[in-house]
Amino acid sequence: MEYKRLEKEVARRSALIYLPVSFGAAILFYLAASLGGGYPPVARFGGMIWVGLLSLIVSMPIITSRVKRQARGQ
Amino acid sequence: MNESTSNLTLPISGMTCASCVSHVEGALKELPGVDHVIVNLATNKANLVYDPKQAGLADMQRAIEDVGYSVPTTELTLDVRGMTCASCVAHVENALKELHGVKEAVVNLGLGTARVTYIPGLITTSTMKRAVREVGYEASERSEGADALDRERQAREEEIKRQGRNLIIAGAIGLIVMIGTFYEMLGPLKAFVPEFLSYKWVIGLLTTPIVFGPGRQFFTNSWRGLRHGVTDMNLLYATGIGAAYGIAVINTLFPKAGFGGEGATFFESAALLTAFIILGRWLEALTRGRTSEAIRKLMKLQPKIARIVRDGKEEEIPADEVEIGDLILVRPGEGIPVDGAVAEGYSAVDESMLTGESLPVEKKAGDNVIGGTLNKTGAFKFTATRVGKDTALAQIIKLVEDAQASKAPIQKLADWVAGHFILGVHMLAVLVFIFWFFFGYQLFFDPNSRFILSPYSLGEIGVFGFSLLLSVTVLVISCPCAVGLATPSAMMAGTGKAAQHGVLFKGAEAIENTSKLQTIVFDKTGTLTKGEPSVTDVVINDQLVVISKSDHWILNTDHLLHLAAIAEKNSEHPLGEAIVLGAEARGLVIGEAERFNSIPGHGVEAQVAGSAVLLGNRKLMRERHVDFTLLMAKAEALEADGKTVMFVAIGGQAAGLIAVADTLKEYTIEAIQRLHKLGLETAMITGDNRRTAEAIARQVGIDRVHAEVLPQDKAEEVKKLQALGKKVTMVGDGVNDAPALAQADVGMAIGSGTDVAKETGDVILIKDDIRDVVVALEVAKATMRKVKQNLFWAFIYNGLGIPLGAGLFYPFISLIISPELAGLLMAISSITVTLNTLLLKGFKPTIRRDGRPQRGAGESKSRFSPVAASSD
Repeated sequence: MEYKRLEKEVARRSALIYLPVSFGAAILFYLAASLGGGYPPVARFGGMIWVGLLSLIVSMPIITSRVKRQARGQ
Repeated sequence: MNESTSNLTLPISGMTCASCVSHVEGALKELPGVDHVIVNLATNKANLVYDPKQAGLADMQRAIEDVGYSVPTTELTLDVRGMTCASCVAHVENALKELHGVKEAVVNLGLGTARVTYIPGLITTSTMKRAVREVGYEASERSEGADALDRERQAREEEIKRQGRNLIIAGAIGLIVMIGTFYEMLGPLKAFVPEFLSYKWVIGLLTTPIVFGPGRQFFTNSWRGLRHGVTDMNLLYATGIGAAYGIAVINTLFPKAGFGGEGATFFESAALLTAFIILGRWLEALTRGRTSEAIRKLMKLQPKIARIVRDGKEEEIPADEVEIGDLILVRPGEGIPVDGAVAEGYSAVDESMLTGESLPVEKKAGDNVIGGTLNKTGAFKFTATRVGKDTALAQIIKLVEDAQASKAPIQKLADWVAGHFILGVHMLAVLVFIFWFFFGYQLFFDPNSRFILSPYSLGEIGVFGFSLLLSVTVLVISCPCAVGLATPSAMMAGTGKAAQHGVLFKGAEAIENTSKLQTIVFDKTGTLTKGEPSVTDVVINDQLVVISKSDHWILNTDHLLHLAAIAEKNSEHPLGEAIVLGAEARGLVIGEAERFNSIPGHGVEAQVAGSAVLLGNRKLMRERHVDFTLLMAKAEALEADGKTVMFVAIGGQAAGLIAVADTLKEYTIEAIQRLHKLGLETAMITGDNRRTAEAIARQVGIDRVHAEVLPQDKAEEVKKLQALGKKVTMVGDGVNDAPALAQADVGMAIGSGTDVAKETGDVILIKDDIRDVVVALEVAKATMRKVKQNLFWAFIYNGLGIPLGAGLFYPFISLIISPELAGLLMAISSITVTLNTLLLKGFKPTIRRDGRPQRGAGESKSRFSPVAASSD
């Protein structure tokens, strides 16, 4: 039971970090594409989604394992 | 492993790549009390050391399931007899549920059955049956229940069938999609293809069932992993297929959306990418099982039925129910069910499957037989001495399985790389996308550019479509499947191949270390030599005429040996016994001496056929004033060869010399010659005096001699060689040489017979044939060669593929690689590695390649029967 509870807590705390991180990366991309000018809206939105998705895939395991280590340390 | 910890091997399903390995390892390591975890992709097993007080099987299962994999369970139905009421049901259920490895047990009183859900490999059916019997009921396995081997094969066949079905669907429809896509380029063949197949919406409709049918596994598996924060190969495939299909749908439904319009509907990319990935999975499932064929062959050796003799009647029972002490009858052509000792009868038994010995071994009363071997000619009865998991075959299988579940140092590195690879690839995919989106497209895009090996033009693809295409291709082409398979597949094939030749490696590390050896150190007695003295030379004084009471004759070697043997018949000295055995080997009948007197520390004197025979050392002859001047040069030459010389006087005159020495084993010289051919240095450690040791070394061709070494100091000598920077193996009998075997980089225990579980050392040579050291080295080298070749192919593929996929050469050649071609290359890389490994199946050690054993080459002139004779 303790193990399961810990896992849930880790998942919650990790999500609070990697979701903003990937969302931030996506927004940053959108802003860069918008400020750069010349990109059609589909490219800007499509790019934002793609960068956001890849950022999520990259940040999720890194942050989850780090949070897990911290939780175990406590 | 300390006393409070246990070792466990868990089967795991759902792993497809090296990153899966690191996920499962990580999940298990996080459990409290688990301190050592090795997950093997090729065997789909996790080996762990854990503290049962802190972590249970349920925790491990949960941890594995939480990261998206599972511990497969299987079901078995037992017929239970003797149950009469509900409490019986509870008894049987509880007895089964308490067993380690049983997940669930449901007993049906009406049917008289117990349905058991258990983890295969952790428990056997015989243990379950025993547990039921112990609480007072009878249990037998339902006939439809398949054994563990069949289940494993069944699971593999199901996977092959599933992926084969997917491949037929994806391949057939994918082919139609491709024909439709390239309709305009078909030329005269267009007449055979309906035009509507080239309509984008038709191609889209055809692609959809591929992506959501056979391709669905990638989406569901990657989602399962993502929910738990893990990424694996499935995610690479899912993002690749999903992105190609998504763009194609958008460009078909909304051509003005800016993703490249109708010219960039890559439905065929999504369809063929799916088909190629599934082709890779199917071929992998097909070939992966074959790398473990050797262990399967070993498992198949176990006969299922034993014919026991009880109260004079023959009775057939399941082999796993044979008990120690049972008398078993074996007829010609039948397998021997368990280990035992022949009680009556005579036959020849083929033991090649376990020992690699090509010739059948004769068996008579008192000889041991090994379960799993094949009776060839006669019928015999034997008494079971080892059954179940204690049989030689069970021990060998366990040892090989453990070795296959272990990891070589080189594999740990490859796994680490592959485990971190997926994240690195996704990062690279972001960078590739950003580069081509913000810079590359504007700088280098050419509307006439094409895909490699395709006449298909990129057309008016937009900046997003182009950047996404390259980003997706990087994801697909970077799959490190081949890296993950490279080492374990070769290790499995190598350990299995070695086992077929009677060489057991205790782990993958042992194979890797064996392949790097530079110096082979042999223990002398019992390893290079037989460890028992025997007559090597008989020298006579040919000027002597023996005159007895009744006769007189000219002495020859047989006469001398005969007289000496009669004189020594009552002696208990090892040298005396050697003389008696030497005479018997020549067919001489040893009679009784008329008078016998032992002279302690010197020799014996006896009266034989009227002649006074004096036999002993030089000092004895000097004391008795017997002049041996004539034979002294020969005596000294024999002593210089490390032999012990016995002086024989008849009637007070010097009659001859008998030399006794520890003789070489049959193939010692051949083995050393072969080791030298492999470029290895050989050394010998012995407690014998330097002169004897050097004589043996000269005879055999050993390079380095460490003489007068006490048993406890052998490890120290090995350490000294290691200090010189050499990778050293110690070859010994495994019991007396245990410290030296442990100190060496690789300890090889030779001639252990089949009681392999008790042996120390990293490598066990079942037969007492020193040439198996060469076999071990050759198999290890061949295996590591395969590992390196596999890693080379795997890394070279990624090393070349990633820059190509990322568009590094695009500015110069205006060609990019399509996702489907990337998928095909990925499949080819995995298949290349697996097929390369399968080449090991044809490997034969040189001693087997050269045909029949070369007795002549290895045979020492000092072998027992052909005693060298000379006269002076």
